[in-house]
Amino acid sequence: MTSSAADRRQFLRLGAAFAGLGAAGPFAMQLAAMGSAAAQSAPNYKALVCIFLLGGNDANNMVLATDSDSWGRYWSARNTGADPIALMPVGTAAIAPGQTSSVTGRVATAATPEAWGGVLPIVPSTPNPVPPGTNATTRTFGLHPFFGPVQSLFNSGRLAIMANVGTLIQPTSKAQYVAKSASLPVNLYSHNDQQSEWQAGAAEGARLGWGGRMADLMMSSNGANSLFTAVSPAGNAVFLSGQNVVQYQITTATNPAVMFNSIGGSSLFGSTSAPALIKTLLQDSASQANLMAADYATVDTRSIGAAGAINTALTAGAAGSMAAPPIFTNPITGATQTNGLALQMRSIARMVAAAPGLGVQRQVFFASLGSFDTHQNENQSQPVLLAQVAQALSYFDTLLSNVGGADLRSQVTAFTASEFNRTFTTNGSGTDHAWGSHHLVLGGAVRGKTIYGQYPTLGIDLGGFNNPNMSGNAIIPTTSVDQYAATLGAWFGVGQSDLNTIFPNLANFSPNNLGFV
Amino acid sequence: MLKRVAKVKRERHVRQGLALALAMALTGCSGGGSGGGAGSSAASSVTTPAPIAATDAARFLTQATFGPTDSDVSAVQAQGYASWISTQTAMAPSTPTHLSFVNTRLTALKAANPNASLSANEFEESFWSAAATAPDQLRQRMKLALSEIFVVSLQEPGIDVAGAASYYDMLGTDAFGNFRTILQDVTLHPMMGVYMTYVSNQPDNLATGLHPDQNYAREVMQLMTVGLWQLNMDGSQKLDSAGNPIPTYGQTDVTGLAEVFTGLSWYSPTPTTSTFFGKNKDPNATTTPMIAYPSYHSTLAKSFLGATIPASATPDPTGDLKIALDTLFNHPNTAPFISKQLIQRFVTSNPSPAYIQRVATVFANDGSGVRGNMAAVINAVLTDSEARTAGGATYGKVREPVVRMANWMRIFGAQSASGNWLLGLTNSNTSLNQATLYASSVFNFWRPGYSPPNTQMGAQNLVAPEFQAVDEVAVAGYANTLLGAVNSGIGGGADISSTYATESGLASDANALTNRVNQMLLYGQMSSGLNQDIVNAVNSIAIPGGTATQAQISAAQLNRAKLAIYMTMVSPEFLVQR
Repeated sequence: MTSSAADRRQFLRLGAAFAGLGAAGPFAMQLAAMGSAAAQSAPNYKALVCIFLLGGNDANNMVLATDSDSWGRYWSARNTGADPIALMPVGTAAIAPGQTSSVTGRVATAATPEAWGGVLPIVPSTPNPVPPGTNATTRTFGLHPFFGPVQSLFNSGRLAIMANVGTLIQPTSKAQYVAKSASLPVNLYSHNDQQSEWQAGAAEGARLGWGGRMADLMMSSNGANSLFTAVSPAGNAVFLSGQNVVQYQITTATNPAVMFNSIGGSSLFGSTSAPALIKTLLQDSASQANLMAADYATVDTRSIGAAGAINTALTAGAAGSMAAPPIFTNPITGATQTNGLALQMRSIARMVAAAPGLGVQRQVFFASLGSFDTHQNENQSQPVLLAQVAQALSYFDTLLSNVGGADLRSQVTAFTASEFNRTFTTNGSGTDHAWGSHHLVLGGAVRGKTIYGQYPTLGIDLGGFNNPNMSGNAIIPTTSVDQYAATLGAWFGVGQSDLNTIFPNLANFSPNNLGFV
Repeated sequence: MLKRVAKVKRERHVRQGLALALAMALTGCSGGGSGGGAGSSAASSVTTPAPIAATDAARFLTQATFGPTDSDVSAVQAQGYASWISTQTAMAPSTPTHLSFVNTRLTALKAANPNASLSANEFEESFWSAAATAPDQLRQRMKLALSEIFVVSLQEPGIDVAGAASYYDMLGTDAFGNFRTILQDVTLHPMMGVYMTYVSNQPDNLATGLHPDQNYAREVMQLMTVGLWQLNMDGSQKLDSAGNPIPTYGQTDVTGLAEVFTGLSWYSPTPTTSTFFGKNKDPNATTTPMIAYPSYHSTLAKSFLGATIPASATPDPTGDLKIALDTLFNHPNTAPFISKQLIQRFVTSNPSPAYIQRVATVFANDGSGVRGNMAAVINAVLTDSEARTAGGATYGKVREPVVRMANWMRIFGAQSASGNWLLGLTNSNTSLNQATLYASSVFNFWRPGYSPPNTQMGAQNLVAPEFQAVDEVAVAGYANTLLGAVNSGIGGGADISSTYATESGLASDANALTNRVNQMLLYGQMSSGLNQDIVNAVNSIAIPGGTATQAQISAAQLNRAKLAIYMTMVSPEFLVQR
């Protein structure tokens, strides 16, 4: 595909984001010539990938403490109700639907934990400190039974677990929380505000995310191609918005950008001049009397300006030959279905593969999986979602291990995020909004096979027990999102002073680099 | 073939007309219409409004309907805004209902395949049918608006199509009644019970720590009544002595209110423990209001928003629910919170505080001492000077994608070949990026407070909710979907299409054609630049002369019409309603 002179001028008019792609010759040919050599010649390339679990993932069932004290409190809180959500102890065999569990005495169905087998044990390479309030001398841990691929990644050393992380302004004890004597983030427990807090450090209405702001600082290393700095196959996310960096939306299709059909042909409705006229009017931001119309035209402009280049870049070379995700089988129903998260990871991997050819050194990505807001019927939905997360992470790891012959895993760090954890006790078949949670970090540069942060004491205050790590049904975070994000930012190349600017509350916490990557 | 009709109920018309007239009198508007000619010769204290220009009528109808038609424009010009509104609010909901539409479709589908069942597509068909053809257009717009506040979504596996259809019907029936009724009927609708997971919600088990589901308790406050922050009547946040906004509720209010929403579950003529848990369902359970199961209702003390229901020996689900919904309804926040959102759905994303206050005042008291009179509220929204007169560069709103498509159907008299309006789900970002009752979450397609990053609006700290669905894929998806529709129709088998009779008839004269699309799509406000572009493009399609057949001439005229329509509807100035 060739860029016409007019297109190139249009690009330049829009500033740095749209400067010409440096092509003297046809763009596609230039990319093909670079191919795998380009992949290997970009040792400074780095990408951050945010995988947002929308709705508030019940991490209490994702990363578990399996020492008998913790497990006992977990069991009594969750092995109750109309549809108990307590997972089975380590070592429990899966039983077929219709059989009676020797652990619970209940008859299993495909959608009960008895059918899934016990939680999968993981042994961190350094013991996680034992928190006050538990009787254990050491802590042992497990993962959801459908997290086999995550267990493998953990054991391989490329995946780390971040324990008890959440939005905080300052370190907050239980007493301070109850007394409201510490500053707290706005609207804890509100989906949209906490999603915004996680992504942008402020409640809904924020327009700058920390991914975008980090990318702002790195934009100069992307030269003329900063357009491709922040990419989302998942919808609008404030995480990616910076002062200068603007997110670009793609789909998970083979040609990820969507072209306007009306402007590409030689005529429209019998008019040979219409395509060009329409192409111009779509992008005419400057003439608009109304700011929203001008803003809409700007989105048209970005769409039109980059669509061709994105499709060309992502269908060439290693980017264009990435293996499709494996079939996803729903572990509850047995039916095959699409793993939307895996498709997003492939789109991201394709962008990573294309980046060197585009001269892009730093990228931030946003992927997401929905429906984690499991107020009811958690057993029927969360396991399927976690299985998709596990497959997507493993698939992403595999894709990046061989991009045109190069292993790019140490250059890409993916991390999960979610607006909050969920209540420790059940409401019968599900859980409600809570706070401190556990997350996963994956990449070749990750110092994995370890649990970072402090895995909390578990159990609600019942029968005289006073859990210093929980208030009501929510775990109080002992690591802030700022620390989590700053650690990722430091790896990404952001200096300490800039990190303090992006995360103004970071100075309240110690350490500000958690060391997992 | 399912055809929309209106049934006028006389009594209700009179009752509502009376309330409206009173409200109108108090706000100083004359009760009658305008039309042309001299006004009333008598009372000098009554001002005769100026005749309404066709462009202003078209602009009003753009706000109040799914798109102006020539007859609608004439009606508004003849009746005046207030009278048109009162006719609309008095009109009974059109038929068929969404529920009967989808049931009729199911019968037809089963005739072909006995194992057929309903999908979300059939509900969407019922939506397009009503949006395109129903005479109670204001009610249709109100249903859509209410469905974006009281969100229920067919994306949720447990939501059944008949249930969703009956939910949408309920919003329509209640649209111009009282807000307290809407709140009651929404809360008791089984689809909200499923969506917000409080159907079969059980009380606390103090031994195990099992607690009632808090989902609806939180979201009914946050999204549907009082919102997060205490508000003044003009929509501004109240501030404490340190200058900080004041939360409306905290976690204890959520847990307290959650106690109220216990013991509600599926209707059955013979309720049992089994039916409480959703077994042995009555065949009409998904379309019948939920009932209270007292033995599953909490008897603990319940505190929320300053109200306290003491612990009781016997469960009182009905009484507790009444107190809870009354508390939400009467909370001072509800008037500005709901009023602002209605303004955002019909008129403009960033209303002035004064505009919000004027509407909220009517919500609080319609002039006859009634709080929550929705007919009065929508009248206040649409007749306000800030609605009738366009503002400056930041005034207006991005047109919702489904409204744009309905505009095309309605303005150009699209017909459904099958009579079933076979346009199904349009939620994909390569389609319209929106489908009615198909949001991704209870937070709707967009948040009222969404301020788009990297935009001129955002730079001024202004909101543009519908921008949350605008991105590089969606803009191309819309343009391509529109192109297909304009060119050859949309829906299964291109079921919905237009012959553009009026526009083709004008097409030999490029200026006349452009004026026509300007009037109907842009209420006369097309910029001269776009106007010239369209005229030039249209003129570049030659109308053959000489020995050309009528068919060839007609084809060229049709092409001209399509091009003028497409160029207008894809232009940035059409995308924003102002």
